[in-house]
Formats: sequence, C-alpha cells, structure tokens
Amino acid sequence: MSYTTFFYDHQIRRFLTQFIRIMSNFQVQLGNDEQGGNVFQRVPVFYGDASRQASQILRSNSENTIKAVPAMAVHINALTYDRERVQEPNFVSKMNLRTRYYDESTGQYTDQQGGAYTVERLMPVPYKLTLKVDVWTSNTEQKLMLLEQIMIMFNPAMEIQSTDNYIDWTSLSYVLLNDIGWSNRSVPVGTEESIDIATLTFELPIWVSAPAKVKQLGVITKIVNSIYDGSGNLVNFASDTADQLASQTLTFDNFTVVYQGNTLKLLKRNDINSTQTSVSIETELKQRHSWQALITLYGVLRNGLTQVRLLQNNGSELVGTVAFHPTDATLLLYTLDMDTLPSNTLSPITAIINPQNINVDDNLISPATGTRYLLLHGIGVSGDVDTLGDTVASVAWNPDGQAPLVANANDIVEYNGIYWTVVFDSNSRPNTEYVTNMTTGVQYKWQNASWSMSVEGRYDSANWSLKL
Amino acid sequence: MPRLSLWKDSHSNDYKFHDRRISEMFTIGGTGVLIHKYLGTTNQGSTDLTQPQYTNQSEQNIQDVLFLENRDRKYDTTVYSMRGIYQVSDSDFDLTQFGLFLATGTLFMTFHINDMVEMIGRKIMSGDVIELMHLKEYDALNDVPMALKRFFIVGDCSRASEGFSATWWPHLWRCKINPLVDSQEYKDILNKLETASTGEDLSLRDVISTYNKYTDINDAVVSQAEVNVPQSGYDTSMIYTQAKNSGERITPSLVTTADNVSAMSADASASTTSADTQLLTPDAKVSGYLTGDGIAPNGLPVQSGITFPIEASSGDYCLRLDYSPNRLFRYDGKRWVKMEDAVRTTLTPGVQNKTLRSGFVNNQATYADHNGTHEQRQGLSQALKPRADN
Repeated sequence: MSYTTFFYDHQIRRFLTQFIRIMSNFQVQLGNDEQGGNVFQRVPVFYGDASRQASQILRSNSENTIKAVPAMAVHINALTYDRERVQEPNFVSKMNLRTRYYDESTGQYTDQQGGAYTVERLMPVPYKLTLKVDVWTSNTEQKLMLLEQIMIMFNPAMEIQSTDNYIDWTSLSYVLLNDIGWSNRSVPVGTEESIDIATLTFELPIWVSAPAKVKQLGVITKIVNSIYDGSGNLVNFASDTADQLASQTLTFDNFTVVYQGNTLKLLKRNDINSTQTSVSIETELKQRHSWQALITLYGVLRNGLTQVRLLQNNGSELVGTVAFHPTDATLLLYTLDMDTLPSNTLSPITAIINPQNINVDDNLISPATGTRYLLLHGIGVSGDVDTLGDTVASVAWNPDGQAPLVANANDIVEYNGIYWTVVFDSNSRPNTEYVTNMTTGVQYKWQNASWSMSVEGRYDSANWSLKL
Repeated sequence: MPRLSLWKDSHSNDYKFHDRRISEMFTIGGTGVLIHKYLGTTNQGSTDLTQPQYTNQSEQNIQDVLFLENRDRKYDTTVYSMRGIYQVSDSDFDLTQFGLFLATGTLFMTFHINDMVEMIGRKIMSGDVIELMHLKEYDALNDVPMALKRFFIVGDCSRASEGFSATWWPHLWRCKINPLVDSQEYKDILNKLETASTGEDLSLRDVISTYNKYTDINDAVVSQAEVNVPQSGYDTSMIYTQAKNSGERITPSLVTTADNVSAMSADASASTTSADTQLLTPDAKVSGYLTGDGIAPNGLPVQSGITFPIEASSGDYCLRLDYSPNRLFRYDGKRWVKMEDAVRTTLTPGVQNKTLRSGFVNNQATYADHNGTHEQRQGLSQALKPRADN
C-alpha cells in the first residue's frame, strides 16, 4: 500500500495570521487618568474557536479570573470553492531566476551570483474564505471608536498577503468587508444580561496551491540555430559536426579557451594570431580577459569543484576541475581527471628523442628489451648519401650483422633485445593514435601526419563548457 | 380592645422586632461580602453637551445622555463589609469565541435593607461591585503570588419576595449579580495596587484579568505574521541581477581598460589586468508589484542622503531620503537616473506603517502657526473650524 507524500504549506493558516495582524493594534480611549491625561487601551485580537483546554489554561483554571473587554475574536465562518475564478487547471507557469550567492560562513548574501533555478507552478485552486470578527465592547461609545477605525480600512477592500515570496503568485489577495452585524442583542434588551457583540463579516478570495517544482536551471552553453542540414534532413547531433554550414554553435559569447600546462586561458578567436591547433602555438593575445568577470555573469566558481569540460574530436569530453589562479585573473588552474583522457592506442614510449643529438651509450647500444623511442628526426633515411656517394648508415643503432636502422621522423622504434626496428611507421598510419610518454607522463596524439599533445591546445566556442 | 392587626402605617415595634431578628439571621448565617460603592462618574472635560460636566459627583449623574451610559466610574476607596445570603449552585462553563464564561454566573443575593443603608448610606445599586470573600481562589494555575478574589457586578436590585415579614414591610434587598469583567467601567477598582507576598506591587487587573495573556497571544500571532510578510509587496533582495547596461551585450570584454593591449602577452606573470577591472553595476532590478525597497541590486553599496554625492562614479547608487517614498538613483556617468521608489512598508497597523491610509491615520506630524503648534491629524469635522472670538 502506498501513501501520498505528505504536503502542508500552512496556506490558510498564514492568511489567518495576516488577517489577525490587520485587525490588531486598534485602541480605544478610556477615561482620563487622575492627572487628566488620555488613557488608551489596545484591543487584543485572537482566534475565536479555541479549544476548551486552552481556554481553561487562559482562565488559570479558576472561576475567579475576569475577561477583558473590549476584545475581538476572529473565526472561520465558511470556506467554499469559488467556481467563478476557475482558470485552466493544467496550466504550469515556469519562472527562471538566479539568486545571489549565500555565504554560509557569514550567513549573508554576497553580491555574486549563486544558483540558477527554474520554478514550475501549477495553477492554484480558487477558494472563498469567509471570516467573522466578533467585537465585544462594554459600552456603545467604545464600539463606535473601534468600528470607526476599522470601517475606513475597507474601501472597498484591503490587500492581504500571506507571504512576501516573489515566486508565490498566490500570496496576494484582498479582504472585503461584506456585512456588519451591529449587535447580538435585540432592542429592547429585556431581562437578559448577555454581552454586546458586533459581528463583521469578511470575505477573502484566496488560492490554494499545490507544491511547486524547483529545479536547477540548466545553463545553455550551446545553441544550435538550425537542426536541419543543407538537404533538409535532420542533423544527427550524436555524430558531432554533422553540417557545419547549416548549424551554428555558440559558447559564452564566442570565447575560446587555450589549455596549456595546467592552466586555461580565456581569449577571443580574433585575439589569436596563429590558426594552428598545435600546442606549439604562441598565443600572443591582443587583449586579455578576466575569468572572474566572465563567471560572475553566470554564477560562482567553487575552487576545486567547478568543472571545465573540453570536447574531443571523437565526441568524448575531457573533464577537470578548476580554481582561480592566485595572482592572475586571466588564468584558471586546471586539474585534469586522468580517467577522462583518451585511451592509448599504442604501447607507451620510453622517451621522445632527437636522434641527431644523442650520446651513443648503453641506452642506444644495449637498452632493455622493449625500449621504445619516438623520433623527432629520421635515421638512415633511404636516399641519404654522404659526400662520397655512399648510403648513410646508422651504424650506431644496430650491431654488426644486422640491417641498419632506417626510420623517419615521427616513427616509433623499439629494441627487441637484438636490434632496433620500426614499430610505428608514420608514413602508413592515417588514423588517429594515442601514446603516452613514460618519461613525462604526457599523452600525445598522432593526427594529420604530426604528433601533438593529445588534449592541450585551443578549444573554440562550443567545444568547451563550464559546469558551475 | 382594639382589633388585632400586624399592619401599621409606619414601622411598628412588630416591624422592628422582625427586622432585628432578620438582621441577626444575616449576622449568624450570611456570608461575608465586601462592597465597592459606586460614587458616580468622573468628569472627562468634554465640551459635548450630551456628555455634561457635573459640578458634584453623584450616583445620580449620567455621563452620556445620548447613549445613556456611565463609562468612567468612580468607586469609594472605602470597602464596606456586609453579610449577604445566596443560593450556591453548580457552575458550568460556556465556551465562547471570547473564552470560557460561567453559564450559571448570575447569582441572586439578598441583603438586609436597614443594615445595608446604615453601612453604606444607601441601598446597593446597579454598578456597585461585590467581592465574595468565601470564593477566594488560593490554587489558581498561574505564577501570581496572590490569591484570586471573586468579584461580581450588581445588575438589577429589588425587594426580595421572601423579605416581607408579617407586617408587610420589606426587610431584604435582592440583587442580581454577574461576574465582573475587566472593562473601562471598573478600572478604578482594577487599577488599585496591592502588595503581593513577594513584596511586588500588582494591580488587581494584573492578578485576575486575562488581558495580558490575550495581548501576549495577539503579539505572538502578529510576530509570526511579520515573519511571513515583513513588509508589503515582495522581497527581491536575494535575486541576482546581471551586471549590464540596458541594450548592451553582456560581455566581459568590458572589464579591461588597459590601453596598450597589443603589448600584452599570455605570460601568466604579466600584470595586465587593470586595477579598475570591474563590472558595471546593474541599472535595473527585478520588477513587479510592490518590489521597490530602496536596496541596490545584488546588495551593492548605496549612499543615503538628502543630496547626491558630489563625486560619483558611473554605476554608483544613491538613496534620496528627502523623497517620500525614498527614491533610489543610479549614476550613469552623466546623470542620476531613477531606479525605483522604496514603497515596501510594514503592514502591521501603527506608526511604522507607511501606506497611504496610515499616512492619515497614524500621522504624528505637526505644523506651527501664530497660535502655536498643532497636530496635522485632525478630525475632519474639526479641521480649521472657526473659533469663538472670546
């Protein structure tokens, strides 16, 4: 057996407290004191449908306590469904707003942006709440004093609010004074000794609302202008850049990010002189941009928690956490989650070497079996001849009796225990490959006939996103 | 021998015999009663002819001859001790909107007429207050260090039917008495101070009236209402407003003001971010019904005063206190532009309530003319009313 989740938002109770507030603080003028000064007495207002036990407690459990007059008692006379105010019951209103950042340590809101939320509100239900106020007075003059103060408030109605929450569209209503019953006594009074009570009847058109849905607002980092390609077919977004001409993606006002080392730089596309995507580009920036200023527009960066995601060519995302640079507002410190790096497609290499500038030692002549080097230049390349016309042989690489090593730049060579051999021929590898340099721990990518750091580089708009 | 007759035109010895016996019965079997004697009304200095000012204080005076009621009553400071007899009955409580009332609270008590007149100078009348000493409460559920006395108001009085002797002359005065209420009429009695066992001076009202308890209850309800709605309208202070200028694109490029940008490098050590790097302050806030509170967007600093700051920077805010309601301005570099009026106000009736109606009802301002200082708030019937030359 399942139960409906409990829900109670004190909606009518809050209207009652506000109504009692409206009726509070009225005074009557009593006779002058001994010095001839005016004496005023505040008239208490309370809920008129008390329990018997609470009433006995207020009487101090004694017959001897005496009631104070004048007094006003408020009670609910009726609560009815208001058919005339019915609106579309299935209407859902959505409100998007951003809040200021609340600093838990100080207990105050800062001037920075905090969360961003979407609030969904279901159409509330209209009701008509009828309240009665009984005014008990001990003499006619006192009754007139009170009624004169009360009656001017309702012309024709008075606003009432159950809350000052900007989101609560049911909080505002109004109070109508519909009727005044002058007295519960009849004229002539006769032998009765009943107290004199005037009854005011009020009507409040209120709304009773279901709970709202509060959701974290999703920050739109990409906007696709068209979802159709040039042929009129739907673009397959899963395949990434389906039709670059038909669609346009925007990110943070077209800002570009350069991932370099352990930092992220923020720049505009036209700030960069080079169009290279290699990590070797020298990003001479025409203008520098503050991360702080950008992030302020969207929220609060939480050091070590906020993520920056960098979209890779294969559709995967590189994920890392960021923190503000302690001294340079234009840099973010980027801590990469190594698990999000692309998988290696090649066995790790021992080091990257320039074969034209190495010492001939044990690392070359008798290395450990399986030693692998990535070459920046060729070795004994076919066709290379010396001044005598003899083929240049890389005699140092392979011992006598073995064929000389011939390798091109960007090749990977491996020592198999006896001699060196090419295990990655750069001339015959058109596909993208990944390999990690064990000396530095840096992963490299083979693409477009060149090696580059696998993830560092420039990420244009739409290829990076910030998750606050 | 004259014919036997107990009736005499005047109070005969038979009457006196009966009267003494009846008095003795009251002395022996009656309960002790303290009488708070009504003396008359107190002059209130009214110029209303329907509320005459009497030169002598008398029980015969009527304070308000329009409504025919005596509201401000004066009671003798002397308390008279008498004996009375009534039928004790069971009490039931009637739960009403004003709390519990004694359903059988009305009693009929008889007094010996001659003793009564001899003691207080007149018969007990409507408006006198009676204290029944034998109903004093010693074990009330409260923290007051004083017993609760039991008071009644005298309503109607007349001769008791059982008080006629064989001489046909009446001897007893029957009073209909009801429980006292804490009202304007009896404040002369209730405001009298008594010293409790703790040495504390308490008024009778503090001890036996429920007034303080009900005002405390009222205060608690109003306090919660003020928590729910501290001020009219809506609180938007926690809503973030983006820093931008209306009509301008949002771009952090605005943040840099360095001139020689071409010389900048990507070197993290380069100090290229200007010291004046900051966003322009918002020039708008969340709008809506009664959202103006005079607080700058995002809680940014505001200068308050009756003039604008002499040296202002673009984006500065100023709250002008000489405007009613106070008005928030923002300096856009050339002029002070109005942002909003602080229209939110407390809704609790009182002087802090700044609504239009409250501005009339709770107006405490004054004005001065050659005749002195006068309150601005005057009854419409009395405002600038011609006065007699003499």
